[in-house]
Amino acid sequence: MECRVLSIQSHVVRGYVGNKSATFPLQVLGFEVDSINSVQFSNHTGYGHWKGQVLTAEELNVLYEGIKLNNVNHYDYILTGYSRDTSFLETVVDIIKELKRTNPKLVYVCDPVMGDQGAMYVPENLLPVYRDKVVPLADILTPNQFEAEILTGRKIHSVEDAIEVMDLLHKMGPETVVLTSTDLPSTRGDQFLVTLGSQKSVKPDGTNTVQKICLDIPKVDAVFVGTGDLFAAMLLAWTHHHPNDLKSACEKTASVMHHVIKRTIKYANELAGPGKKPNAAQLELRMVQSKADIENPAVVLEARVIQKKNQ
Amino acid sequence: MECRVLSIQSHVVRGYVGNKSASFPLQVLGFEVDSINSVQFSNHTGYSHWKGQVLTADELHVLYEGIKLNNVHQYDYVLTGYTRDTSFLEMVVDIVQELKRANPSLVYVCDPVLGDHGSMYVPQNLYPVYKNKVVPVADIITPNQFEAELLTGKTITSQKDAVEVMDLLHAMGPDTVVITSSDLPPRLGDRFLVSLGSQRHVHPDGSRTTERVRMEVPKVDAVFVGTGDLFAAMLLAWTHHYPNDLKTACEKTFSVMHHVIKRTISYAHELAGPGRRPSPPQLELRMVQSKADIEDPAIVTEAMLIS
Repeated sequence: MECRVLSIQSHVVRGYVGNKSATFPLQVLGFEVDSINSVQFSNHTGYGHWKGQVLTAEELNVLYEGIKLNNVNHYDYILTGYSRDTSFLETVVDIIKELKRTNPKLVYVCDPVMGDQGAMYVPENLLPVYRDKVVPLADILTPNQFEAEILTGRKIHSVEDAIEVMDLLHKMGPETVVLTSTDLPSTRGDQFLVTLGSQKSVKPDGTNTVQKICLDIPKVDAVFVGTGDLFAAMLLAWTHHHPNDLKSACEKTASVMHHVIKRTIKYANELAGPGKKPNAAQLELRMVQSKADIENPAVVLEARVIQKKNQ
Repeated sequence: MECRVLSIQSHVVRGYVGNKSASFPLQVLGFEVDSINSVQFSNHTGYSHWKGQVLTADELHVLYEGIKLNNVHQYDYVLTGYTRDTSFLEMVVDIVQELKRANPSLVYVCDPVLGDHGSMYVPQNLYPVYKNKVVPVADIITPNQFEAELLTGKTITSQKDAVEVMDLLHAMGPDTVVITSSDLPPRLGDRFLVSLGSQRHVHPDGSRTTERVRMEVPKVDAVFVGTGDLFAAMLLAWTHHYPNDLKTACEKTFSVMHHVIKRTISYAHELAGPGRRPSPPQLELRMVQSKADIEDPAIVTEAMLIS
């Protein structure tokens, strides 16, 4: 498999977020990963302390220029995640547009990180940039419920709402949308959260079709950081292997997440000791230890097809 | 295995040198790798063009401070390679010394990158820093012949000279020395090059011995970049698994190198086409494709014990 990904995300010296979370799993699955580190921090910002440096939009451009001057600016995928700076994000948009001109088949996997649980945790002025410039270029989008709502201006109170929001997102650009988490009630009870996905594709006979799926994911009583980055990276990998089968792609992706998180929470609890809540350092994803699960995830979660219609 | 490495090396967006060359193989072998990127460049400097930014000694210190403030500055290994800046290197030394106080069993694996084939390719003022400050805190060093000669002030024209130079290096600090390449005449012919290693052991009864090995490694007709970084990382891994058996550690390390290089040169020639010399982008190590060889290298080179 010759597949090259350009991933533009954070680097942390210690732990697994951003490029640290995305790179190893993709490499283990045989992808060539070129990585531009948008920041270099000691660790993620959920620890007691964090220190480091950020890359400016100008410096990002300089790095891209280097790649371009050597005529190696050919990528099959681009992957982006958490960003705090509008000019940086706008430079990313310019780079993606140019890379799509170089390779029209390029797939841009975008996690539109803006907030969660009803509140934004990036500067507000990123929303118009995502909505008007980034999402229109994206091919695969992994918003959570809050991000999907603010991008479309519609609230989600039911599965029908979620379906409409995903269709609105399709109209904005991406053919594949996964609502990574919602607070919709799961048919399996309150120990589960609901994930939904929607994929538009063109059948061999030329007609359009949409597949919508739904998964119930076991909730875990802990705050993980970097799981969204791992999710987007693994969705890239599994949609690559199952390009017209969102059900399988999501089952594999969600299953990898399950194995990594299960291993992580178990180890974190061991480190913390009985009756103690693990801290941020102890909750770092057990990435390296999960290599076998990443390579070949046992499918432990099944997706339901909730709507399949021809358009 | 719970083993944490702090690797302070370059990062390139594309390709495999520095941390890009060291991290994936170590992670694949189950090591936790914390990485401080000393630079971020588009690609290595052997391409026609390269662009990027460097980390200052102050910025390095700031990153280390972050780790320390969270009380997670506990490492089993530190790994360093190519550096061009004396103040950066001196900051690295301070960090290593502090980490050794935090964990006295810490092993510092140092590739003292200074030059090759008779000339220096870093600023000259790095030489005294390596000689007087870095090598004395190193536990494992991987100089080539030129660097070994420069650090000890002694030329190598025979295996006996090489053994003396390695003993001089031991006296400076490291218990494990591998001269990664030399121009000593190989017994297997001129398609090979000679590498040597030396490891001092202290036995439970207090007695000391030195294990010395010699390897002959097939030469490849191409210029690879990042192979030295991969070598140091893999020597870290295999001496970890074989702490008192330099022969086996070297056989595994040199064998991994062989598999990766062979796969790389084969692919590079396919890309370049018949009769053409591959370019630097085409010669990037086939790292990801070599995962199985990294995990479990088939031994293809045998080391000889020498005295």
